Amino acid sequence: MVEKDVIVNSDAGIHARPAMMIVREAMKYPCEVMLIKDSVEADAKSIMSVLGLAIISGSKLTIRAHGEGETELVDFLINLIEKDFRV
Amino acid sequence: MRKLTVRYFIEGEGRIDLQLRLYAGEGGLDKEIKYGEINRPGLALAGFFDYFAYDRIQIFGQGETAFMNQLSYEQKMKTYSDFFSYDLLCCIFTHDYVPDKLFLEFAEKKNVPIFLSKRGTTRFITLFVHVIDEIFAEQVTLHATLVDVFGVGVLLTGKSGVGKSETALELIERGHRLVADDMVIVKKIDESLLMGAGSEILKHHIEIRGIGIVNVREIFGIRSVRNRKRIEMVILLEEWDSAKEYDRLGLDDKKYSILDIEVPYITVPVRPGRNIPVIIETAALNQRLKKIGINSARELDEKIKKWIMTEGQK
Repeated sequence: MVEKDVIVNSDAGIHARPAMMIVREAMKYPCEVMLIKDSVEADAKSIMSVLGLAIISGSKLTIRAHGEGETELVDFLINLIEKDFRV
Repeated sequence: MRKLTVRYFIEGEGRIDLQLRLYAGEGGLDKEIKYGEINRPGLALAGFFDYFAYDRIQIFGQGETAFMNQLSYEQKMKTYSDFFSYDLLCCIFTHDYVPDKLFLEFAEKKNVPIFLSKRGTTRFITLFVHVIDEIFAEQVTLHATLVDVFGVGVLLTGKSGVGKSETALELIERGHRLVADDMVIVKKIDESLLMGAGSEILKHHIEIRGIGIVNVREIFGIRSVRNRKRIEMVILLEEWDSAKEYDRLGLDDKKYSILDIEVPYITVPVRPGRNIPVIIETAALNQRLKKIGINSARELDEKIKKWIMTEGQK
């Protein structure tokens, strides 16, 4: 299991398009991956779950993956969020 | 959980609707409600302050107000200054009773919000417990879809991509009602009651691969949705695994634990061509039968056993 924290800095938070980028990437990996905000867990492979977290600028997010490809996926998602989805 | 303050009694998003009227002590509206409990301050007013639960919500009924009425000014002065020496959370007067001037002066000075309720004390407490219990209920967010199928709250779970949303859509099309898709907030209202609802922003939206996000309420109308539903059974959808043995009899009741409450649970294998919505409808109806004490599998089993014992012996 890999778990890393990240602070979301993009002004608009994670709205529909960034959420889709996260889900699209997560779907490429067989592992289970969760986004956790304020102890609410959301499946990163489900766009509705990700949107449901209502992640705004400044939110602290934990990404936890478990299974095949976990390290690469978590690193990729952290990078994506840190670079403001401009990858 | 969000920080709950006394202010929520009268305003704000997620307002606690107890139909209260603020009468005095506005300065204390930002006090935090830490416990969803109440206290009747009768004993404290009579001068007994041991175990005085000052950080609970104080409810003044007819008994308390009658007691206060018969006090002389000097007695009031003494009683109130003792009473308000504690860091009180707030006071609620039932029967729309307006406390005396001295009491209100103390409340203003000490920033203790005073609310009035039109209801009688017992009625008010019933409402209060009902509303507050739900706010303080233990909760968990599940990656699942909740549908009301023939009045049975069916929680569909399973890995992403197994077809929960598509199944829900088909159920809606057949006249059932969607509560929440993909993200269900489950609250333990009582030791045997789990209430499921969707998150406020996602409400009644569903994501269908190939179409994207659609608003079920707008497309199918108001009858296709409901805001909350008691969770009465869990159905796990999983890809058909030919190596796995699926339940063929339904004699054993399996349970799924959510917040330490056991919910009847079945696994439905998904395979192209299998009509999952019909299976879910049947499972929901079967669950209703079980609830009123009819277990089809068990009854057939009994019948066969009886037949074996009688006819089979001939």
